Amino acid sequence: MRDALLINYEYCTGCHTCEVACQKYHDLEPDQFGIKLSQIGPDQIGQRRWQYEFVPIPTDRCDRCVSRTAKGKLPMCVQHCQAGCIQLGSVVEMASKIVSDKYVLFS
Amino acid sequence: MEKEGNETCCAPKTADDPTGRKWTWEEDGFTVVRANARTAPGCHDNCGVLMYVKDGKIDHVEGDPEDPYNQGRLCLRCLTLPDMMYHEDRQLYPMKRAKEERGNPDAWERITWDEAFDLIETKIKALQAEYGKECVDIAAGTGRDVIIYETLLQRVLGTPNQGMGFFPGQACYIPRSFSTNLKSGALYEGDYSQFFPDRYDNPKWKRPDYVLIWGNNPVVANSDGTLGHWIVECMKRGTKLITIDPKLTWVAAHSEYWLQVRPGTDAALALAFGHVIVEEDLYDHEFVDNWTYGFNEYKEAVKEWTPERAAEIADVDVDLVYAAARAIGNAEGWALQWGVAMDQTSEGFYTGMAAYDLVGITGMFDHPGGMVAGIAPFNIGFPWIPSKEEVDWIPQDPAMRPPVSKPELRGLNAMGMPDAESVVEGMEGDAGSNDYTIKCVWFFATNPLANEGAQPKRTYEAIIEGTEFNVVMDTWMTPTALACADVFLPVATYAERSGISGHQPYRTGAIVKAVEPAGEARSDQSILVELGKRFCGEEIFPFDGPEDLYDYMMKRSGACFTYEDMKKRSWAYPEVDYFRYKTGGLRPDGEQGFLTPTGLYEFYSVALEAMECPAIASYVEPPASPVSTPELFEEYPLILTTGARNWGYFHSEGRQIPHLRRVQPEPICRIHPDDAKKYGIEDGEWMIIENYRGSCKQRAEVTPRIKKGVVSCDHGWWFPERDQHDGTYFGTFECNPNNMLSYKPGSVGLGNSYKSDLCRVCKA
Repeated sequence: MRDALLINYEYCTGCHTCEVACQKYHDLEPDQFGIKLSQIGPDQIGQRRWQYEFVPIPTDRCDRCVSRTAKGKLPMCVQHCQAGCIQLGSVVEMASKIVSDKYVLFS
Repeated sequence: MEKEGNETCCAPKTADDPTGRKWTWEEDGFTVVRANARTAPGCHDNCGVLMYVKDGKIDHVEGDPEDPYNQGRLCLRCLTLPDMMYHEDRQLYPMKRAKEERGNPDAWERITWDEAFDLIETKIKALQAEYGKECVDIAAGTGRDVIIYETLLQRVLGTPNQGMGFFPGQACYIPRSFSTNLKSGALYEGDYSQFFPDRYDNPKWKRPDYVLIWGNNPVVANSDGTLGHWIVECMKRGTKLITIDPKLTWVAAHSEYWLQVRPGTDAALALAFGHVIVEEDLYDHEFVDNWTYGFNEYKEAVKEWTPERAAEIADVDVDLVYAAARAIGNAEGWALQWGVAMDQTSEGFYTGMAAYDLVGITGMFDHPGGMVAGIAPFNIGFPWIPSKEEVDWIPQDPAMRPPVSKPELRGLNAMGMPDAESVVEGMEGDAGSNDYTIKCVWFFATNPLANEGAQPKRTYEAIIEGTEFNVVMDTWMTPTALACADVFLPVATYAERSGISGHQPYRTGAIVKAVEPAGEARSDQSILVELGKRFCGEEIFPFDGPEDLYDYMMKRSGACFTYEDMKKRSWAYPEVDYFRYKTGGLRPDGEQGFLTPTGLYEFYSVALEAMECPAIASYVEPPASPVSTPELFEEYPLILTTGARNWGYFHSEGRQIPHLRRVQPEPICRIHPDDAKKYGIEDGEWMIIENYRGSCKQRAEVTPRIKKGVVSCDHGWWFPERDQHDGTYFGTFECNPNNMLSYKPGSVGLGNSYKSDLCRVCKA
C-alpha cells in the first residue's frame, strides 16, 4: 500500500498553500489539483460555537511526491503547509499519530 | 566624504551558530541559492527561501527547512514567484511619456537608464528650483524592505513630503506604533518564540496562555513581520485565542471568546477590559507600582467604562467582555496581536493606546509569552526604522520646511509626515491653511489609485491637473502608472537583487541576487545610489553599488557585519533576554526602565501632554455611525468596513498570476444573509455599495460570517487583463471602495475611518 497522508484539520486554516505548492511542482493548471481544500461551515452549532474548518483532500493526481521523498525531501504540501498539519508515512505509523480528535487519514 | 573600508571587524555574538551553513550549492542540475525573501512581490515578512536556478532563470522556489523563521514553509506568493518574474506583462524597460499623454498606453517610449536618470535629474531640479524642494511628494507603499529606503530617497531629494501614498492619517501601523512608542519607548511584538533561533524549544520561552487577536486576521495578513501561523504553532502548544472582529475568521472560529464588535468601537472595549482588570484587582501590582506612571489617571479614565456600557456601544454580549478581560487578567502570559483595524478607527492613535494599556496593567512588557521589545538587531535599524546615525550622512537643508499639513494635526506634525489631503490640496492649488505647491509625485512601490489612497477619482484629477512630472517605480503597469506616470522605472524582484532583510527585530539576514534582473529591471537600491550621486554628489554617494551602501550603513550602525558576511550566513539572531526594563537593556544610557520622559511605562503620556494632545486613552464614536449621525444612518443603514486581507494577494498585487487569481477571481463584498434578504441581494451577484461620497461594484458573498448590519468590501482590486485603451485604468475606479471613504484623518492627524463608515447596497 502506498504511503498515507495524515491531516490534523483542527489546525488547517484554509490557506491554499498545499494546493499551489502541489500545482507548481507538478506543473498543474490552476483548475487541476493534486490536493484540494474542502470547507466545513460556517455553521453555528451552539450559542458561541461555530464550525468553520477546512480539510485538504488528496486527489488521484497525488503521487505522494515520490521523486522528492526518494531524495529525502518532504512532499511539497507537507513541507509548505503553513499550519504544519500534514504528514506522510505508512498507514500504521500515521495511525499511531492520531492522538486526539480531528485527524483524517488518506490511504 | 572619504569612502571607508569594509573589512570585517570583530564578529558580533549571535544566538545562532552559522557553522556549516551554506548559502549556495549544486543540486540535481540546479544551482540553489539560499536567501531571505523580500519585495518585490510585496511582503511584510522575510521567510527563508531556496531559489533553484537553471540557465540563468529561477526555475522554482521552496521554503528553507533550516531557516528558523518559516521552518520550510512558504505561502502562495513565493511559490508562484517565477510566474510573476517571467510574466508577459511585467515591465522590463525604463520608459517615458509626454505629460499630455498621461493615460495613453501607446505613448510610451523606451529609453535607457541614463536617459531616465538625466530626465529625472533635469525635471526635478528645475521644479524644485522654481517651486521649492517641498514640491516633490514621495508616496510609498508597504512592501518591505524596499519602502524603508524611502527615507533615503526623501533625504536625497531633500523634500519633507514623504509618506504612504495618499493615505489619510498614515493609517497603517503608524498611528498605534507612534502613540504607544511615546508611552513605552519601543515597539513591542507578541512573543511567539520568533526571537530565538531554536524557536518553540527555547527553554526561556513560554507559550502565551492567550493571544488577544484584535482587528487582525494574522494567518492571512502576516502583517508587520509576524508570520500568522506562528500563532497556530502556539495553539498546538496550548495557547487559547480571544478574537475581536466583526467577521468570523478562522481564528475567530477557533477562539475561546469571539467578540463580534461593531466596527470602530474597539477603544470602548479596551477601556472596559481595563475597568474589569482594575476593579477586580487582576492587575500586576509589582509592575504597576514600580514601573509605570499615571496609573491613578488611568484608573479614573476606565472607571466609567463599565462592561455594560462598552458592550452596548460595541454591540457584544456583556459576559464576553467580562470573560475576555478576566482571561487576560489571570493569564501568566498573554500577547496582543493587533492589526491595522486599530489604526483605521477614526481615532486610531488612541485606540492603539487603549489596547496597549492592557499590556501595561498586566505587566506583559518583555515577558515570556507576552510582548517583547523590538530593538534593532545588532543595532541595524535601516531596513526597518533607520536610526539618525544611519541616515544623517546625507545632509538636510536646515531651512527645509515641515511636511505639508494643517496646524491642528499635532500628532502627525510631531511625527513629521505630510497630511494626505494637504498633499492633494497642494496639487489642486487650493491649499487652504497651507501654501505648498506640489508639482511632482514619486510613486515608490505604491498603487494608490487602486489601493490605499482615499477618494481615488479626486486624487487622480489632482495629479493629472496639478503635477508637472511624476515617476513610478514598479514591476507592473498598474492603474496608477498607466494614469499618472511620465517616467516608468522597472524594478527588480528579490531574486534579482541584494539586500539586508531586517524590518522586524528578531533577526537580520541577506537578500541575495540569484539571477540577473529580467530585461533591464534594476533594484530600488541601485536606483537610489544613482539618484544619490546625481542629487547629492559623489562625495556623499561614493558607493559602487548597493552592497557598498549596505556596508557603509551597517558600519554607521556600529554593526560588525558586511553584506558578504550576511550573505554567507543567511541569517543572524541577536541574543535577546526578557525583562530588559530591569536590566538596563531598553535604554542607550544603560539605566533601568523604559525610554520615556519618566523612564516608566506611561499610562498618562508626558510627551503627548507637551504636544497639547489628550494624554490618556479614550473612546470617540466614529464620525459617521448609527450613534453619531442617526439621520445619515437612516439613509445609509449599513456599516461599511473595508480592506480585509485575502489569501495570495498583497494589497493590489497578484491578480495577474493565474494560480493566485484562481483562489479569488473577483472583488468580494461580504453581507449577512438577513441584510441580503432585506435588500434583495443573492449570493454571487454583483452588488452596488454606495454612500454620500461615491460607490463601487463588487460580487456579493452572502455569509453569516459577517456581522449583521455590516458589509465588508475588498480593497486593492483592478483587472490587469482589461485592455489598457478602454479608459477605465483596468477598471479600478469601478470596484474601489475607497470611493466611499474620507480624506479626513483622526483629530491629531493620525488614524482614519477606513473600517467604519456608512453605506447602502442594491443589486447591480
